[in-house]
Amino acid sequence: MEPIETDLLVIGAGPGGYVCAIRAGQLGVSTVIVERNRPGGTCLNVGCIPSKALIHVAEQFHIARLQARDGGALGISVSDPRIDLAAAVDWKDGIVSRLNSGVAGLLKKAGVKSIQGEARFIDGKTVMIRSEMGEQRLTARRIVIATGSRPVELPDLPFGGAILSSTQALALTAVPRTLAVVGGGYIGLEIGMAFAKLGAKVTIVEAEARILPQYDTDLTKPVAERLKELGVRVMTGARAGGHAKGRLNVETGGGSERIAAEKVLVTVGRTPGFDGLGLDELSLAMSGPFLRIDEQCRTSMRDVFAIGDVTGEPMLAHRAMAQGEMVAAIAAGRPGGWDKACIPAICFTDPEIVTAGLDPEAARAAGHAVRTASFPFRANGRAMTLGAETGFVRVVAREDNHLILGLQAVGAGMAELAAAFSALIEMGARLEDVAETIHAHPTQGEALQEAALAALGHPLHI
Amino acid sequence: MANYDVIIIGAGPGGYVCAIRCAQLGLKTAVVEGREALGGTCLNVGCIPSKALLHASHQLHEAQENFPKMGLKGKAPSVDWKQMLAYKSEVIEGNTRGIEFLFKKNKVDWIRGWGSIPEPGQVKVGEDTHSAKHIVIATGSEPAPLEGVAIDEKVVVTSTGALELGKVPKRMVVIGAGVIGLELGSVYARLGADVTVIEYLDTITPGMDGEVQKTLQRILKKQGLKFVLGAAVQKSEATKTRAKVTYRLKKDDSEHEIEADCVLLATGRRPFTDGLGLDKLGVKLTKQGQIEVGRDWQTGVRGIYAIGDAVPGPMLAHKAEDEGMAVAEQIAGRHGHVNYGVIPGVIYTWPEVAAVGETEQTLKAAGRAYRAGKFMFMGNARAKANFAAEGFVKILADKDTDRILGAHIIGPAAGELIHEICVAMEFGAAAQDVALTCHAHPTYSEAVREAALACSDGAIHS
Repeated sequence: MEPIETDLLVIGAGPGGYVCAIRAGQLGVSTVIVERNRPGGTCLNVGCIPSKALIHVAEQFHIARLQARDGGALGISVSDPRIDLAAAVDWKDGIVSRLNSGVAGLLKKAGVKSIQGEARFIDGKTVMIRSEMGEQRLTARRIVIATGSRPVELPDLPFGGAILSSTQALALTAVPRTLAVVGGGYIGLEIGMAFAKLGAKVTIVEAEARILPQYDTDLTKPVAERLKELGVRVMTGARAGGHAKGRLNVETGGGSERIAAEKVLVTVGRTPGFDGLGLDELSLAMSGPFLRIDEQCRTSMRDVFAIGDVTGEPMLAHRAMAQGEMVAAIAAGRPGGWDKACIPAICFTDPEIVTAGLDPEAARAAGHAVRTASFPFRANGRAMTLGAETGFVRVVAREDNHLILGLQAVGAGMAELAAAFSALIEMGARLEDVAETIHAHPTQGEALQEAALAALGHPLHI
Repeated sequence: MANYDVIIIGAGPGGYVCAIRCAQLGLKTAVVEGREALGGTCLNVGCIPSKALLHASHQLHEAQENFPKMGLKGKAPSVDWKQMLAYKSEVIEGNTRGIEFLFKKNKVDWIRGWGSIPEPGQVKVGEDTHSAKHIVIATGSEPAPLEGVAIDEKVVVTSTGALELGKVPKRMVVIGAGVIGLELGSVYARLGADVTVIEYLDTITPGMDGEVQKTLQRILKKQGLKFVLGAAVQKSEATKTRAKVTYRLKKDDSEHEIEADCVLLATGRRPFTDGLGLDKLGVKLTKQGQIEVGRDWQTGVRGIYAIGDAVPGPMLAHKAEDEGMAVAEQIAGRHGHVNYGVIPGVIYTWPEVAAVGETEQTLKAAGRAYRAGKFMFMGNARAKANFAAEGFVKILADKDTDRILGAHIIGPAAGELIHEICVAMEFGAAAQDVALTCHAHPTYSEAVREAALACSDGAIHS
């Protein structure tokens, strides 16, 4: 096939890659994007979006079951609710395929050429693309590596059959009677909780001393309590061994146990997806398993950029998107540099956890004298009307000048509070700024204002 | 009979917040309230109970409309109206008890009864006269009457009666397409009532952004609400169980009748200052009956202040709260301040509506050059996963400086999303500041960022 020449080549059409390509196209850069699967990457096809759809179904089903059991505190009676997971998965697949074509349409609209195929580096300016059509040589002035990540496999529990990665768990068409989740991080808990709500008997197997070890215990306690309410068994300090005859071998400090597990979901982390890329040809500098980048997302080779999960933690779609947008601007000759004051993170468990900036421990470790305060949702009117009184908003600020260093929250619907958290940190807000911004009543956001007031020593509603 | 630094008349959000803050600042404080529970209109017969019913009725809507689409099966849900009202009462009680607790904690006295001001420095409640260095009038508002429409709070009701109807009406007429009429109209429409909204003006939600008005009307129509716009209600004639409303269409002066088993009068609210003795004191009122105050919320009479719905400005709980805080600070000899340019407003329909700052109409009228950046929730992944893809975010920014002048959101969680814009506006941020802030994925708040992008380079996902 005819060789192609382009200004910008983006390898991988996940959130980082496709945003980079769309933006570059919009800014007039001639751009090609290569993706081996469907556009949208892990996030859209087998990650964030389908998991949120499953979580939404599970939550609604759970509410319906509670309504059927108690006659419904809200005055809504439902009888005999059932879940048809195959139908739910169809619904989810419908959303995914609409988003797939949405992304494809956006790329086209921005004038980006999309190629389905595998890209392999020949040198820093050239790749060979292998597709159904054959092989095609592509030369680009700049190349962006945005190939994302894939789930880590455990030697004793290779994916396949009863052993599921998150991808396979999201495609199950029947709710397993028993499910073991190996790895109590956010992915495992999000999916594990959803299946518990759908009726599976779930066991979480976590090697560390507690679930969600990257968060402090104040934040994780409401989640741990909810797991208990949902009848989920949590085994900490536990190592999963092999799986046979519907049972998973788990070793704890006290000995070993064989727990019932029709299926086993392994969510022990993600690793960069470099396979088939031919990175050896470039010998790029690494930072651990990840590509090393500078503040413009440049790798050690001139005009080869890397964005998203291949560049390390935090492996979050919105970080990748922001990097992609920045690299596109740079490719269009505009100035750009990574200066985000914070990248918020959301854990879509029940309740949801949101973190932005530094938590109290990290702030102290960074050498700050800090003052922190939190405001509980049980004292928030909106939370009461929603029947969602669990959780709190916490603020972490410098003791001397009240500059906000971090904001955290746990509770229902917290995901949508994250944007205000980031905005405040980006703008260098102090406690007084939040305290004196009018927050609409009745909203959950009022809890943020109250947390700031509390840190200043005078909360109103507690 | 007691001496106080401050006596506040009225324990609504403005009054009780003012009282708590005064007490926190070391002032001996009392609140006069004749209602059996603290919290005023907002907690007892306003925001909080209506939000409880909106939440409960939305759950019913979810079960009816969306469950089948996502594979949730079961018999059709039914409503136990008494139980729904009990849920509402429980929420109210939780809130009002909370205020009682806060009064005790902060050592605010509750003087039970209705207050008047016989002379500056004195508040009379029943037979007792109390003295106070500062008096704050926070008596709020009451539903405005309409000539020819007699309220019985059974068949022809105000919002107060509408929150505790004996049964769900079959046919309901709502007079007034403002926030209250649309929220309560939505509740009963979801519960099965045939609801017709009659509005004097040619648009619903007067004062809101024109595009939001049109979109909201279209969506509510789809949900079964009927609208008669540009219609002047002449009279209503009620029996014990039914009422007939006569209205005249402004376009052709034709007269029409409509029958219903419940009529909700929701044409607005007016300041409630009866019985205070303002005339004798020489406290001036505006033509609309609002108490005239200076920049320090002091009336023409030294030592008498007024806040909230009783003074000019939007009749919103959070505006009253902020004024209450500011007055408390002033009285304590500190600085109090309210930024009237950044007061968000929320309508809790489905989808929600939220707005802050200028509208396109006000900017055009002022001859200010602006750019409008708009992003549809159709292009937002989380909205798609949650059946919440109706609506949009619109940000208005100064054409030359990019400074954010206003924002209008119709869509999921709009009431929480607006706070990011409030923060940005308090900081005098440009749309680009919002665009360059990392927003978590997948959240509805990404739509806010996209709208900010649309103010300049263009959105990514549209």
